[in-house]
Amino acid sequence: MKYAFYPGCVSRGGCPELYPSAVKVSAKLGIDLDELKDVGCTGAGVLPQYISDPINARTFAKAEELGLPVMTICSTCQGVMSQANYRLKGDPEYRAKINREYLAEEKLEYKGTTEVKHLLWVLFEDYGIERLKSLLRRPLKGLRVAPFYGCYIRRPPEAITPTKELNRRKNYLDELIGILGAELTDISGKGKCCGFPILTANEENSLAMVGKHTGEAKEKGADCMVTPCPLCHLNLDGNQPRAEAQEGKEIGLPILHLPQFLGLALGFDPGEMNLKRHIVPTQTVESKVSMLT
Amino acid sequence: MEVTFKIYRKDPEKDGKPGRSTHAVNIPADATVLDGLLKIRDESDPTLAFRASCCRGYCGDCMIRVNGRARFSCTAKVSAFTEKGPELSLDPLRIVPVIKDLVFDWDAFMWNKIKAVKPWLEPAEPASDGENVVPDAQMKDLRKAMSCYYCGMCDEGCTVLPVDFNFLGPAALTKAYRFAFDPRNRDTRERFAVLEGPKGIWDCVHCYEADEHCPRGIEPTKRIIALRDLAFKMGIKNEKVARHHQSFAASVKESGWLDEGRLAIESEGLTNIKGLMKLLPTAAKAMMRGKAPLPYLHAKRPGADKIKKIFEKGEQETK
Repeated sequence: MKYAFYPGCVSRGGCPELYPSAVKVSAKLGIDLDELKDVGCTGAGVLPQYISDPINARTFAKAEELGLPVMTICSTCQGVMSQANYRLKGDPEYRAKINREYLAEEKLEYKGTTEVKHLLWVLFEDYGIERLKSLLRRPLKGLRVAPFYGCYIRRPPEAITPTKELNRRKNYLDELIGILGAELTDISGKGKCCGFPILTANEENSLAMVGKHTGEAKEKGADCMVTPCPLCHLNLDGNQPRAEAQEGKEIGLPILHLPQFLGLALGFDPGEMNLKRHIVPTQTVESKVSMLT
Repeated sequence: MEVTFKIYRKDPEKDGKPGRSTHAVNIPADATVLDGLLKIRDESDPTLAFRASCCRGYCGDCMIRVNGRARFSCTAKVSAFTEKGPELSLDPLRIVPVIKDLVFDWDAFMWNKIKAVKPWLEPAEPASDGENVVPDAQMKDLRKAMSCYYCGMCDEGCTVLPVDFNFLGPAALTKAYRFAFDPRNRDTRERFAVLEGPKGIWDCVHCYEADEHCPRGIEPTKRIIALRDLAFKMGIKNEKVARHHQSFAASVKESGWLDEGRLAIESEGLTNIKGLMKLLPTAAKAMMRGKAPLPYLHAKRPGADKIKKIFEKGEQETK
């Protein structure tokens, strides 16, 4: 089982705990990662489509040459790439234009066969839940976990959940929490925006969203939250203290990256999953996990 | 069938405090939620206030929340909500100023915002025959946006409006798109003065909730993204957003990927001492945890020169 790995900049920049956790977890699971290095930023929804689509087409062409599907650990990268791929696959004329005008110079061509998947989708759709269960070394019994999907791993539907069958994707994180032995704390905003995209344009609204989601999870008794998106993590974890100050309430909810959450259930120690690098202290999670070993 | 309606109530002429009334109603199995409301008003409680207009699922006037989800009460079948029990909870939309019971202030919810984006055409030159005709092909994309009938479902689904009711919202911004991209439009830059202002296009989180909620497939989020891409092309006027986008673009252009440390500083502005000071507590915490990306010490990706070429070509071709 091998993927063209697209880790995204945040997994080594603002969230440097993510990349090594994902690599360790993938190795433990037996998922082989061939990291794409000679590729560009997806544009993250900041760069306009007329610039990011050709850059993403180049990434897809590189993966296509390797004959591998792309796997990301960042919902934003996955979302932007899935949307670009939807346009490129669905419109042969558009793809031909991008190939001709942008990729031909490097003798690259995107034929439209690359698939883009997030690690969360890989677990359910390629890897198999029974296989995952057989590797669990520390079921996270008693750990109350709120899921936080964010936007781009659920929408827009034509690119993310194009068939009725794939509508299941909207529930993978809820399912995974149970599969890893933890207890689900459901929250109303789990598929909403974390506020990160407007941190620059409207910080007050952005922090209000952080306060709303983390506050609800805390009030409902969650020990932590888990997210497949490092940009959600940047806001929900990194800016949680500022959200607490703005909203006038104490929250203190640890936010785990998906691979860290998986890693704990696979038997890695919190230290190996770099929990100490988070802004919101993770002691509650660590002490619960330590009682399980 | 026998169904219990639990309805949000608020009467400004009494104490104005919100409450809930309960009504047991016997209605046919194929009845709509609106049928139930009409029956209650006609037979047991004439003070119950709600709206309905076209009664065929178009106008949106009857939109309420049924068991927490926004629905047109005129087309929502009661039987679709009774799987877990014969009980329906009816409320106004999440975020609206309520006038009475299920009746809310549409002006505040949507119409004032539509008016704010100048929802009319100002052609470059009046045509001699007064017709301002454009080729059909040029209107193809706009026609989809023009098929919006202002039901407000996209605003109800919007992620930003519950935290900031003054955000213009997807319905008004879709209206803005319709005129900004009209080939006859005179001064796009002038239109963008409002759109790039506070509560405009840059306050949208592009979460695609609006697209998922729109019953007509108009895709308001994609319209807002198109407006933002157009602003990028013309040169963004919102200063802070412009700094953010310029820094993002520069680091991708120079190194192939994002220099996050640089982006944080340059978004605030290198001479904006107050803004930079505000970053310090978070930056200090991040540094203590070994997770603050150092600005400007950012290695180029292999193939960065190729990315730069693509970037510059994209910029040139759209000028």
